[in-house]
Amino acid sequence: MAASYNFKKITVVPSATDFVDIVLSKTQRKTPTVIHKQYAIARIRQFYMRKVRYTQQNYHDKLSQILDDFPKLEDIHPFYADLMNVLYDKDHYKLALGQINMARHLIDNVAKDYVRLLKYGDSLYRCKTLKRAALGRMCTVMKRQKQSLEYLEQVRQHLSRLPTIDPNTRTLLICGFPNVGKSSFINTITRADVEVQPYAFTTKSLYVGHTDYRYLRWQVIDTPGILDHSLEERNTIEMQAITALAHLRAAVLYVMDISEQCGHNLHQQVELFNNIKPLFANKPLMIVTNKIDVIRREELSEENEALLADLEKEGIPIVPMSTLSGEGVMEVKNKACDQLLAYRVENKMRSKKVNSVLNRLHLSVPQQRDEKVRPPCIPEAVLQRKAAMDTDKPKKKTERDLELELEEDYVFDMKKRYDLKNAEDKYDPIPELWEGKNVADYIDADIMKKLEDLEKEEEMREAAGEYDSDMSDEDEETREIRSMAAKIRKKKKLIKMESDVRRKVQKPTLPRVARKDYNASEFKSQMEELGVDMADKDNAHFKRARSKTPTGLKRKREASTEAGSRARSRSVPAGKVPRDQSGIRDPQTQQKVKVIAKNAQKKMNQFGKAGESDRFIGTKMPKHLFAGKRKQGKTQRR
Amino acid sequence: MAVRAQFENSNEIGVFAKLTNAYCLVCIGGSENFYSVFEAELSDVIPVVHTTIAGCRIIGRMTVGNRNGLLVPATTNDQELQHIRNSLPDSVRIQRVEERLSALGNVITCNDYVALVHPDLDRETEEILADVLKVEVFRQTVSDNVLVGSYAALSNQGGLVHPKTTIEDQDELSSLLQVPLVAGTVNRGSDVVGAGMVVNDWIAFAGMDTTSTELSVIESVFKLGDAPQGAVTTAMRDSLIDSMT
Ligand SMILES: Nc1nc2c(ncn2[C@@H]2O[C@H](COP(=O)(O)OP(=O)(O)OP(=O)(O)O)[C@@H](O)[C@H]2O)c(=O)[nH]1
Ligand SMILES: [Mg+2]
Repeated sequence: MAASYNFKKITVVPSATDFVDIVLSKTQRKTPTVIHKQYAIARIRQFYMRKVRYTQQNYHDKLSQILDDFPKLEDIHPFYADLMNVLYDKDHYKLALGQINMARHLIDNVAKDYVRLLKYGDSLYRCKTLKRAALGRMCTVMKRQKQSLEYLEQVRQHLSRLPTIDPNTRTLLICGFPNVGKSSFINTITRADVEVQPYAFTTKSLYVGHTDYRYLRWQVIDTPGILDHSLEERNTIEMQAITALAHLRAAVLYVMDISEQCGHNLHQQVELFNNIKPLFANKPLMIVTNKIDVIRREELSEENEALLADLEKEGIPIVPMSTLSGEGVMEVKNKACDQLLAYRVENKMRSKKVNSVLNRLHLSVPQQRDEKVRPPCIPEAVLQRKAAMDTDKPKKKTERDLELELEEDYVFDMKKRYDLKNAEDKYDPIPELWEGKNVADYIDADIMKKLEDLEKEEEMREAAGEYDSDMSDEDEETREIRSMAAKIRKKKKLIKMESDVRRKVQKPTLPRVARKDYNASEFKSQMEELGVDMADKDNAHFKRARSKTPTGLKRKREASTEAGSRARSRSVPAGKVPRDQSGIRDPQTQQKVKVIAKNAQKKMNQFGKAGESDRFIGTKMPKHLFAGKRKQGKTQRR
Repeated sequence: MAVRAQFENSNEIGVFAKLTNAYCLVCIGGSENFYSVFEAELSDVIPVVHTTIAGCRIIGRMTVGNRNGLLVPATTNDQELQHIRNSLPDSVRIQRVEERLSALGNVITCNDYVALVHPDLDRETEEILADVLKVEVFRQTVSDNVLVGSYAALSNQGGLVHPKTTIEDQDELSSLLQVPLVAGTVNRGSDVVGAGMVVNDWIAFAGMDTTSTELSVIESVFKLGDAPQGAVTTAMRDSLIDSMT
């Protein structure tokens, strides 16, 4: 219930210029920004329409938010409605909201009109101008709301500072002339901390405090002082008190200053009481005479005493107190609370609702069914502790304290508090049982020894060379090749290192195949060194008859050859394998592959399906080339 | 005395703890916050034991016990059983029961002398209950709820039952249990009173949300404070009416 009267969550209302800035910059940020005049006109129109619509939507959302956030005077509790009327003037408030609503409507209309116009925009320039005009007009509408927005922002700020008063809960309402000690009273019974000063109208608005009594929470409201004049003459400050008195179903405490230090004599105070009496109708009422530390009721003059006696005769209780000395304050509070509670309970008892909770107000006492006694069982230690309650012994260290102290190092020890005969048994492992059998019983005692034996055996086997016989099945030839290859690799490495040293190279070098100046004699000597017989290899084609087609260095871009100058097809550079032979081991396999490929294609051909290499024309007559009015260009080419 | 506590943001502390006059079981949580609430109040009088039941933390709902014994469901594993056995005094008998309604805490509520049980509870379980916990057993419902353990909290001095229990039902239950009863709520209006609080003969723990009115009802009906047991019908009556309607 109380939550619905919390006005603290209304969003901030920006000023008119800020409003415009916020919305326009949002449009700029959140819609596309690049457009060119050569784009299709539909696209250009779309681009600008989007901007206009987006701006309108933003304005619309923001204004709707304002309209939703601010409370509607018709929907809220009459107390708040009246209070808002008093504080902000109902007419002004409604007008401001009405204008915001109007602005929203206007902006929607502007957007609608300009979007319609944009549909006929025929160039980028025109569309852009239309968009500018649309945004401009929306912003003008907003700028005209400057005053409404400012007013609403002020209202919002004030509303958010209003005390959260729940109109339906148990409430004590303190009222009376200014300076009689109302704020002093609320300060003593709650923690509201209202300002107290020795001059009139210290308190200028409503204040709320809360106090506890009888397991319940009580709301106490301090009101500004009220003077004795007609309703029309009352100012805003007094009217807040009147509003609270009129609408809250609370216990009213009418505070009087019997010492007359407040500047109004007792007669005036009683007069005011009688004048605002209609506001107290149907409410628990109590008169509190404050400042009895200055003058007691017994010491009052005859006529003053008569005034009070008259009031008492009407059946209104008069309770004395002094907030200064604290005398009587608690009695006043308790009496007022009791009075209100009795009143509320009486009202509730008359309603039907109470029937549903009557069973909870009942203590069912058992009927004796046998002779057995069933005493409570409270350990001696508890009773002792209860008796020694007030002797404050040092607080015992709990696990939580330990945990906080040790931080990460804390580990809860479940076994610490075991209640066993032999304390040293505490940390024995608990046997793990499975299907009624102790797992430990089934563990082989010398499992570790067995494992060790196995490992030893394995070691011996390894040492005997049982596992390094994988070369045995290779024949003489492969072994020779292997040893040769190893020799070659070693030699290669040596050459590389030698040359690196010679050339002082530190970076990685190109492989030999990329080298150009590699001649026959060098090759011969190297091969001889490796043990290959190079004696009568004179006719061997170490020297190539014709030069290799230059393939260029690795990574070097090929120079583009002049188009059409090639008389014969380029010979395939040595070392490059044709695509249909690459990755194939030998001619037999190649034959096989060919057959497989042919078979794979068979089905495709059988059904006359188009393969990936078939010529394909998607559309024989592309519509854009043949439809519509023709202006320039030929039919085939435009 | 009545204390408010909370288990890892849950107010249903009767789910995570089991309190009797001879011991207190507390589940294992992320921190010792919850455990230490019990530890601070109880550990110099009765053992406060950390445990799980079948690896679950909802021990308050799985077990039932009193000063004389403790029943745990069949799913409890041997380590847990041994751990509880080691932690509790020898005067407390611990027994595992094969029961279809395995959440024993939900289907049984008891003090040191009587127990209310779910009407469909196994006959065998009933016998074990009478034997181990030394209680008289009654098959009953609490305001038409069969889960008597969830909707009632019981000690040797008083009891709190589901808020919708009619006066006639309360009187009948009270005569069966031989303790005074009140219908009420915990945790700001929750009707699962058995799960929202734990109580024994000298102390009660209720969820953090429990209002001061609810707490004072608990204190008075379980005779934990100075208020007379009949306070709900006298001193607190007006406050109750005003806060409930
Ligand atoms: N001697 C005496 N002075 C008091 C007592 N209570 C309040 N006063 C003084 O009266 C003056 C006014 O007290 P407030 O509590 O501000 O009075 P108020 O009714 O809230 O005044 P407004 O807010 O202006 O309506 C202060 O100077 C207090 O010190 C009292 O019991 N005895
Ligand atoms: Mg004041």
